[in-house]
Amino acid sequence: MLSQNRTSPIGHTQVSRLAVFLLLLTSAASLQAQDWFKTETSSGVSSIRIAAADFKPLSGDPQTANLKKTFDTTLFNDLTNAGIFDIVAKSMLPQSTPGAPAEMNLQQWAVAPTSAAMVAFGGFSAQGGKVVVNGYLFDAKNLQYPQVLAKQYSVDASEDAARQVAHRFADEIIFRLSGGSQGIAETKIYYVKSGGGGKEIWAMDYDGANQHPITHLGTVSLSPRISPDNSRLAFSSLGKEGFQIKMFSIVLNREVSFSAGGGTNLSPAWDPNGKEIAFSSSRSGDPEIWIADPSGSAARRITSFRGPDVSPVFNPRTGAQIAWISGRTDLPQLYIMDSDGSAVQRMTDGGYATSPSWSPNGQFLAFAWDRKYGPGAPGGQDIYVMEVATKRWIQLTHDGGRCDFPSWSPDGRHIVYANTSNGSASGMKVWTMLADGTQKRALTGPGADMPNWSWK
Amino acid sequence: MLHGLVVAVILGWAFIFRTHGLNWGEQASNAGAIQATMVASLPLPPTQRTLDTGVLTSEAPSPAPVITKEKTIPPPDPKELAIPEKFTKPVKTAEKAAPEPPKHIQPLPPQPNKAVTGETAGIRVAQSTLQIKNGTASVSVVDRTFGERFAYYVNIVNSKVAQNWYTSEADPTASLGKSTTVVFDINHDGVPSNVRVETPSGSASLDLSAVRAVQRVEGFGPLPQGDHITVEYTFHLHPQ
Repeated sequence: MLSQNRTSPIGHTQVSRLAVFLLLLTSAASLQAQDWFKTETSSGVSSIRIAAADFKPLSGDPQTANLKKTFDTTLFNDLTNAGIFDIVAKSMLPQSTPGAPAEMNLQQWAVAPTSAAMVAFGGFSAQGGKVVVNGYLFDAKNLQYPQVLAKQYSVDASEDAARQVAHRFADEIIFRLSGGSQGIAETKIYYVKSGGGGKEIWAMDYDGANQHPITHLGTVSLSPRISPDNSRLAFSSLGKEGFQIKMFSIVLNREVSFSAGGGTNLSPAWDPNGKEIAFSSSRSGDPEIWIADPSGSAARRITSFRGPDVSPVFNPRTGAQIAWISGRTDLPQLYIMDSDGSAVQRMTDGGYATSPSWSPNGQFLAFAWDRKYGPGAPGGQDIYVMEVATKRWIQLTHDGGRCDFPSWSPDGRHIVYANTSNGSASGMKVWTMLADGTQKRALTGPGADMPNWSWK
Repeated sequence: MLHGLVVAVILGWAFIFRTHGLNWGEQASNAGAIQATMVASLPLPPTQRTLDTGVLTSEAPSPAPVITKEKTIPPPDPKELAIPEKFTKPVKTAEKAAPEPPKHIQPLPPQPNKAVTGETAGIRVAQSTLQIKNGTASVSVVDRTFGERFAYYVNIVNSKVAQNWYTSEADPTASLGKSTTVVFDINHDGVPSNVRVETPSGSASLDLSAVRAVQRVEGFGPLPQGDHITVEYTFHLHPQ
């Protein structure tokens, strides 16, 4: 998405002038035959137009109707949110609801106004407390061999399970059609929910559904960071010894130990292989970046400059670099360095930068930036994305109030962030958008802050 | 002579006995009157006494015919008449040679679009059947080309490479109107590798941009079938 934007001068218009001929040769050694085909495009790159049919109810169970509605809605939203499809509006779908491949009339779906290149459809039945979903994905332009995907799911009959099944099916479709990148429909977002005088860590599905608390500590907990295997949650919590890094096991559903150090310890960040945690600690006097193992032991200091160093984040692709915020030159700026503290490089040229998040492919940094910081300065704090190699950046949010805490989705196509339209901290909501700044929408009500997208 | 005499007699008669005076309707004081005598009843002839029993002569209307209700005839008892059993010859039918038509419409396998040289289809069937990886296709007909079977995958390869081709990398003065063909392999996980220029365009920057376009792609998604395929991709830079 971003790479397309970045290269917009040579985008669709120019590509459309280029005829690209593709010849594929299956030539497995000498034993296999040489099948070949040839295809051509002269219209450039367009997203796949996909139709999501309402699934056919295969049982008359009254419960089915509600579950099926949940399923249909969730599947439609997942495919819409994926950001890679041109999804056909429900009103343009044919009247028929095929429930099985034999009932599918592809020509109906391939012609205008549907004009779908791909059709997702299937049957939905509930019996004996179980929901059975048969989902199919057909290539509407390949009448001879239309089937791309066929899946069957059997889960408990509940709203949550119906939603999860839709997420799983949507992820399968996205995985097949996006060229290998995983869908995010099954991912979670962890965030801070303020209420009752304290702040607790909450979790929700990527689409904002199923919001539920994780911690019940009765204090102020900040900056949740889920581990790459989704088993543990690191965060910073206010206790007797000030802010300390805490570790919460999602699997055990309880807190596990993490060695406390002196001073204020903030903003943990996971190494992509889950073996190390970087965080900011003032145990040696000045807030510096430290790295410890997931139990908090063997902590070592990485930075040693005057001025605060906070908000570290690992390069998720390599794990060999850390981006962080440093105040060594007065106002906080975005820096990157190797994870041993060498090769420090300043990324932002001014303003007030906070909360970096490194994109999963390592190419981009998202961060909150107030480029004209100071009294009476125009503009405000917005979300920016910078290409690490070139330091070129684009602004993703505009005039929507203060934005902070961007966090990349594991597919690198979405960014979740916190935004307050009126400037008050209590009005903070968690929002999501595509990584090019489009399709913004709020996921939570006010009082939600510091979102962190899970790794997968 | 005689005729003349007769005519003279008639004329003479008419002249002698001709009437004089007023005729009817002429002005006269005592015009002729008609006398009418009123009577109580006309003396009609007495009616003849008729026979009442006669149909034509009776004055009284004849009574309406009686409509009798239809009666349903009870069905005859099947055992009333014994039907003699016919002797029928046993019909000899030949056994059907044709098998039953398939329940589902079988897709027509694609016809090979090039001459087959010495390949044995049997080996291909076995191999391709084993190599089906997506687990969805109920494939029995394997004698098909990858592109027809998995057209969507070809489209993904096509668009992914096209997305990552930055045409500004090619020097326009040297590259316009030229085309280059690169060949690369896609392994089972969909990762391209071994990119090499098959047909150089003569413009080094165009060749390089084509190679880079493929190298930028991290993956196309796992192959739906087979453990690897080789792709030949031609880039052509049109004059603007």
